[in-house]
Amino acid sequence: MLELNHIRKSFDGTPVLHDISLRVEDGEIVSILGPSGCGKTTLLNLILGLTDADSGEIRYNGEDLTRTPMEKRGFNIVFQDYALFPNLNVYKNITYGLKNRAHLTSQQEVEELIDLLGLRDHLSKRVDQLSGGQKQRVALARTMVMKPRILLLDEPLSALDGVIKESIKDRIKTIAREYHLTTIIVTHDPEEALTLSDRVLIIDKGTISQYARPEEIVHQPKNDFVRKFILNQLEIKRDNIYALFGRPSVAAAV
Amino acid sequence: MRKNIELKLIFWAIVALFAAFLAAPLLLLFGKSVWDGGLTTEFYTSVVVKKGFLPALGNSFAVASAAAVIAVVIAFLLAYAVHYTALPLWAKRLISAIATLPMFLPTITYGFAIIYSFGKQGLLTRLLGRQLFDIYGFWGLLVGYVIYTVPTAFLLIHNTMGYVDKKTLVVSKVMGDQTMSTFWIAVVRPLLGTLAGAFIQAFFLSFTDFGIPASVGGGYDVIATLLYNQMLGGIPDFNRGAVVAVIMLIPSVGSICLLQILERFNIRYNRISPAELRRNPARDAGWGAVTAVLSVLMLSLFAVIFVVPMVEDWPYKTGFSLEHVQTVFADSELLTVYQHSLFMALATALLGTVVAYGAALITARSTLAQGYKRTVESIALVTNAIPGMVLGVAYLFLFSGTELQNTLLLMILCNVVHYFSTPYLMMKNSLSKMNAGWETTAMLMGDSWIKTILRVVTPNALSSLIEVFSYYFINSMVTISALIFIAGARTMVLTTKIKQLQYVNKFNEVFVLSLLILATNLVAKAAFSCLANHKKKKPIQQTQA
Repeated sequence: MLELNHIRKSFDGTPVLHDISLRVEDGEIVSILGPSGCGKTTLLNLILGLTDADSGEIRYNGEDLTRTPMEKRGFNIVFQDYALFPNLNVYKNITYGLKNRAHLTSQQEVEELIDLLGLRDHLSKRVDQLSGGQKQRVALARTMVMKPRILLLDEPLSALDGVIKESIKDRIKTIAREYHLTTIIVTHDPEEALTLSDRVLIIDKGTISQYARPEEIVHQPKNDFVRKFILNQLEIKRDNIYALFGRPSVAAAV
Repeated sequence: MRKNIELKLIFWAIVALFAAFLAAPLLLLFGKSVWDGGLTTEFYTSVVVKKGFLPALGNSFAVASAAAVIAVVIAFLLAYAVHYTALPLWAKRLISAIATLPMFLPTITYGFAIIYSFGKQGLLTRLLGRQLFDIYGFWGLLVGYVIYTVPTAFLLIHNTMGYVDKKTLVVSKVMGDQTMSTFWIAVVRPLLGTLAGAFIQAFFLSFTDFGIPASVGGGYDVIATLLYNQMLGGIPDFNRGAVVAVIMLIPSVGSICLLQILERFNIRYNRISPAELRRNPARDAGWGAVTAVLSVLMLSLFAVIFVVPMVEDWPYKTGFSLEHVQTVFADSELLTVYQHSLFMALATALLGTVVAYGAALITARSTLAQGYKRTVESIALVTNAIPGMVLGVAYLFLFSGTELQNTLLLMILCNVVHYFSTPYLMMKNSLSKMNAGWETTAMLMGDSWIKTILRVVTPNALSSLIEVFSYYFINSMVTISALIFIAGARTMVLTTKIKQLQYVNKFNEVFVLSLLILATNLVAKAAFSCLANHKKKKPIQQTQA
C-alpha cells in the first residue's frame, strides 16, 4: 500500500501542492486528474522520487521512502513521449535494464511480456519505424522488465488517436490485473480517467478536490469544480454521442 | 536527489581551462596596456595620437563594412536561388558547395590569389587585357574580405531560409499582394534579423582578419597590420601592441553584443511543412544566370591557386609542369610543417570536441543550478567575441619564457579556446533536442550517470560530435591570426609557413601548400560527412535472443 501523508511542495515560493494525503491499495489503478498547472505532474514526480517534497512523508508498505533516492524506490515510469533510446532497436530497448540487473527478469518472463503487449513482430525494428501505439507498448514493456513495485504513467494516451487509445487502455488494465500491479496514471482527460481506473484523484489548484470510485464521482460530485469542469465535459460528450446514435431507450424502441 | 558529481567535475575542469587560457592572458593584456610601474594612460594616448593610427582604424571600419554589405548581398542571392527557385538539385548543391568553398583555405591564400588574378601579371588581367583595379589597398582588401565572409553569411542565411514558412508566399499571393510586397513580407521581413546578424558577423571577421591585409594590404594600413607591426615588426613595442589589441577588441565585443540583442528579433516558426513552389521557368532561368555569374567569379579567383604552381614559371613560361609540386614534396622541412598542421588539427579537434561536449552536457542535459549554466554560457559568449589576433598577442605575453612557449600544445589549446563558441552551440542545440526523459529512464533501469552517457546520449549524439570534430579540424587547418604570434621555428604549421615564404617571395610553394590545405580539408570534410550520415542512417543490427 502506498501512503502519502501531508505532502507540501512549492517552487520558488509558489505553492504547488498543499497538504496532500492519500492511500493507494495494492493492485489498484488510480488516475490523477486535473487541468494543466494543477500540480498533478509534480505529484507524480514526488512519488517517483524525481523531486523532493518540502514536508510530509511517502510510505510504501510501511517503509518510509521520503528521503530514498529515485533509483532505490523500485518504482518506475513511462513518460508521455516514451523516452525510447533511438540508437537501440525494440528488443534492446525492452531488455535495457537487464544489462544492469541480469537476473531480475527471466528470459521466459520477457517473452511473455513481448507477447502480452503484441510486440513479437517488431523486435528488430528501429524505434523511428514504430507508430505511436507501438512505441507506447515498447516503453511499457521496457518498464515492466524492471518489475516495478508501482507503475507510473504520465499521460499515456494523450499522444494516441482513436482506436489505438482504447487498445492501449485495455493493455494497461490487463497488465495491472495480470501482475497485480499498483498503477498510477496522470491525465487531463476525464473520460480516460473514469473509464480506466479503479479510483480517481481529482486535483484542483494543488489540493484534492475528490478522491473516489468513478461511479461515485459521476453520481455524487463533491463540489462545483468536479461538476463544472469534470462532469460537464462528459455530459457534452454524452449528448453529442446520443445526438448521433439516439438515446439507448429510444434506439431500443425503434 | 542526484548529486551530479561527474558534471561538477567537468564544470570545474572547463572553468580551469578557460581561466588559464582565456581569462589570465586577457587580463595580462589589459594590464600591459595600462601598466608601466604604475597605472598610466600614456600608451593609449601615444598610440591614438600617433600619425597613421586613426586613419588605419577608419580604413578598417570602411573596408570591413563595405565588404560585409557586399558579402551579405551575394550570400542572400545564392541562398535565395537554393530555397526559392526550382533549379535542379545538382545546381543547388553546386551553389552551396561554391559558396562555402573559401572556408577550406586560409585567408592569406586569398590575398595571393588576388595578386595573381588581378595583379599586373595576373591571370585575369592577362585574359581581360587590362588591370581592373589597383589590388594593393582598399580594393584588394575588399575582394579578399568578401570572399572570406561569403561562406559565413551564406550559411547563416541559408539556415534561416530553411525555417521560413514558404506557405506565406502563397498566402501573400492569394491576398492580392504585388510581387514586391510578397517579396518583402514573405522573404525579407522574416530574414531581417539574420541579415543584420550576417552583416555583423561578416564585419567582425573582416575587421579582425590578419591574412588578407598581410598579403594585399600594401600601404593601406588597417588595424590588423598595425597590431602585427607593433608586436612583430622592426621595433616591437609590447605595451603599445597591447593597446592596439584592446582597441581591436572594442568593436568585436560591440558586434557580439549587437548579435545577442538581434537574437531576440528572430522570428521562429515551430513546424515547417514543405511547400511547393509555383512553376516559373523565367524565374529559374534568371536565378540560374545570376548564380552562374557569381559562381564563375568566385571560382575564377581560385583558378590561379591551381594554375600557378602547375606551370613552369608564372607568368613567363606557362607550360604545364609538376616541378614545383615535386619540389615541395621533396622538401623534408615542408613535409614536417604539414605533419605539424595535421597533428595540431587532429589534436585540436579531439580535445575541442571533448570540451564542447562536456560544456553542452552541463547546459543542455543537467539539473545543475543556473549559476553553473550561466558560467558556461558566458565563456562561450566571450570566446566568440575575442579575435584570434588578440588571443595570440595575449598568449605571447603570458606564455613567453614558460615551458609552453612555441609548443604545439599551446597552439592546440589556443585553437580550442578560440573556436569554442560555435562547436559548443552546435552540441548544445543537438543535446537539447533529445528526449528529456532519457537520463531518468536509464537511471530507473539501473544506469549510473556515466553509463547513461555512454550507452544512450553519446551514441545518439554521434553525428553532431563528428560535425563538431570536423569544424574544429578545418578551422585549425586554416587559422593564422592567433598562431602567427605563438608558433615557433620548430612548430611551424602550414599557414604560418606561408607567411614566412611570402618574405622570400616563394609564391609557388605558397600555392602548393595552400592546395595541400585545401585537399586535406576536402578529404577530411568528405570523410566526416560520410561518417556522420552513416551514423545517422545506420540500420541497427538484428540481435534477437
